[in-house]
Amino acid sequence: MIKLFSRSWMIAVYIFLYLPIVTLVVFSFNNSSLVTVWSHASLRWYTVLANDADLIAAVGLSLKIAFLSALMSVFFGTFTAFALNRYRRFRGRTLLASMASTPLVMPDVIVGLSLLLMLVSMQHWLGFPERGLFTILLGHALLGTAYATVVVTSRLREMDGKLDEAAMDLGCQPFQVFRLVTLPLLVPALVSAFLLTFTLSFDDVVLSSFLSGPGYSTLPMVVFSRARLGLNPTINAVATVTITVVTIAVVASSFYQSHMERKRKRDIALAYSDKNQ
Amino acid sequence: MATGPKVANTREDLLRVEGLTKIYDGAVKAVDNVSLTVATGEIFALLGGSGCGKSTLLRMLAGFETPTKGKIFLADEDITNLPPYKRPINMMFQSYALFPHLSVWENIAFGLRRDHVPNDQIKERVESMLSLVQLGKYAQRKPHQLSGGQQQRVALARSLAKRPKLLLLDEPLGALDKKLRETTQLELVNIIEEVGVTCVLVTHDQEEAMTMASRIAVMSEGYFLQVGAPDEVYEMPNSRQVADFIGNVNMFDGVVEVDEPDHVTVRCDECVHYVGHGISGNKGMSVGVALRPEKILLSKERPQGEFNWCEGEVVEIVYFGDHTTYHLKLPNGKVIKAQEINNTRDLSCGLTWGDRAYARWNDLAMVVVTQ
Repeated sequence: MIKLFSRSWMIAVYIFLYLPIVTLVVFSFNNSSLVTVWSHASLRWYTVLANDADLIAAVGLSLKIAFLSALMSVFFGTFTAFALNRYRRFRGRTLLASMASTPLVMPDVIVGLSLLLMLVSMQHWLGFPERGLFTILLGHALLGTAYATVVVTSRLREMDGKLDEAAMDLGCQPFQVFRLVTLPLLVPALVSAFLLTFTLSFDDVVLSSFLSGPGYSTLPMVVFSRARLGLNPTINAVATVTITVVTIAVVASSFYQSHMERKRKRDIALAYSDKNQ
Repeated sequence: MATGPKVANTREDLLRVEGLTKIYDGAVKAVDNVSLTVATGEIFALLGGSGCGKSTLLRMLAGFETPTKGKIFLADEDITNLPPYKRPINMMFQSYALFPHLSVWENIAFGLRRDHVPNDQIKERVESMLSLVQLGKYAQRKPHQLSGGQQQRVALARSLAKRPKLLLLDEPLGALDKKLRETTQLELVNIIEEVGVTCVLVTHDQEEAMTMASRIAVMSEGYFLQVGAPDEVYEMPNSRQVADFIGNVNMFDGVVEVDEPDHVTVRCDECVHYVGHGISGNKGMSVGVALRPEKILLSKERPQGEFNWCEGEVVEIVYFGDHTTYHLKLPNGKVIKAQEINNTRDLSCGLTWGDRAYARWNDLAMVVVTQ
């Protein structure tokens, strides 16, 4: 009885989570120009999408911004995390620690608005920067750095500090310790920080809306503005393409992870099966 | 009684530590005015419980901690303020601290690469290290693909690869299980002696210290209680604390009654001890008499004479296989331990719970400690 209940509960949750997405995917193959009415299956809206220069430009811009801002986030986030974890005491440590995590809790609207005000007055006094790709990038990197710091920090914390000491003991100067030991061991954390900040940036509509200038519309901004004018099945097609890409990436990475895990277990078993200890 | 250090004192001193002190946060004295010298080729053990300052001392030798006061000399060169990467000292860490992203080969070569040793020499050196620790066929494995014992040997090879003047071992066998420890202990000493490197090791395990080291420093609360060869420290502890810390001991409190150059007697509540040598105390002084359990003989018959025996009731028998420990409750309530070797297959003295028994010992079995 309990089993039946928990199983149907699980199914209900899955339906709740995935039914909208399934609907969206199905309707992207709809021939009708009405989003909610099914006529018959076709690739009509994919053809429209392929010819929609605005939308494709928006996808390109979004990818570009996501890639660059993720790079910047990981770069700054790594150094912030490193400073916070490896150098125990310095002036302003507490300030830096709390400042680094503020963007996580601050509503995006506030961050976006304050950035906009700052940029507007900067442009007024300095004539720089023009709002557009660069300013969106700055906003996303600001937010991303906070997330990247958190991810890298947690990895640094669980890393054995003795490894640094061992490296130093064997003749590494502090920067060599970072380059030869800390950084290689951080790679998995850097990859996940990159993916996380990439997704955040690709997904962001609030900050982008505040910070973009004419001619610079990211994909979420385009989707959002078109949705207000009435839904168009092209959006479904875009969404389906995105979902497909994401799904492939997720499945591939989880396959890779489980493969590595199996390999690790095999290695350990191998080590202990040796008679010669 | 003691044979003296295994290494003759005429050898030159490699490591000299003078008045080393480490104070944390301006208050906690982790290491308190420690001085020591270690001769070339010696294996020197720092032995003590957790928090006695032995690890802090080791970390100061390695350069990970800066001493608050004092100096460290290595081959007469002052290295007190050198950073770890400039000291000709290498350390084997307790958790081994092998680099997980590098192969066994690269782990061992790591230190050599930092010194820009030419590649052909690195190859030669790493291979000789691998054969020294018998891990040749594991060269391309990653550390997590090795068992604990193998990892330990990689760690040793890595710390020896740069041919350090001084090797530091932090609880070298701490992470291994008991069976493996015994074989590894001897193997480790053999390798260290083969290489001929001077060694300072830190341990909380007295057995490890005794089997590996030529000299032991017993540490407590940041300073040395006693420094000496293993048998010296065991058979002639200079204080209650040392007697207590190293091995098991029965401690009797008493007063010196007769004080002659060739013997003394100490009257205790439980019995009168006749000690067959003079002591550096005087008549009427209150002292402790330390008596190790394995030096006591048990019997059912009352011993002759008036000294060095006492009577009690067997309250506990602990069987260890190779020996049995009897707990004897004396008339005043004190419980002493006596260890009997099981040299036949039936229990040697036929004692059981509740029996009256006599414990006796000879006049050179105990040590009089004054503190």
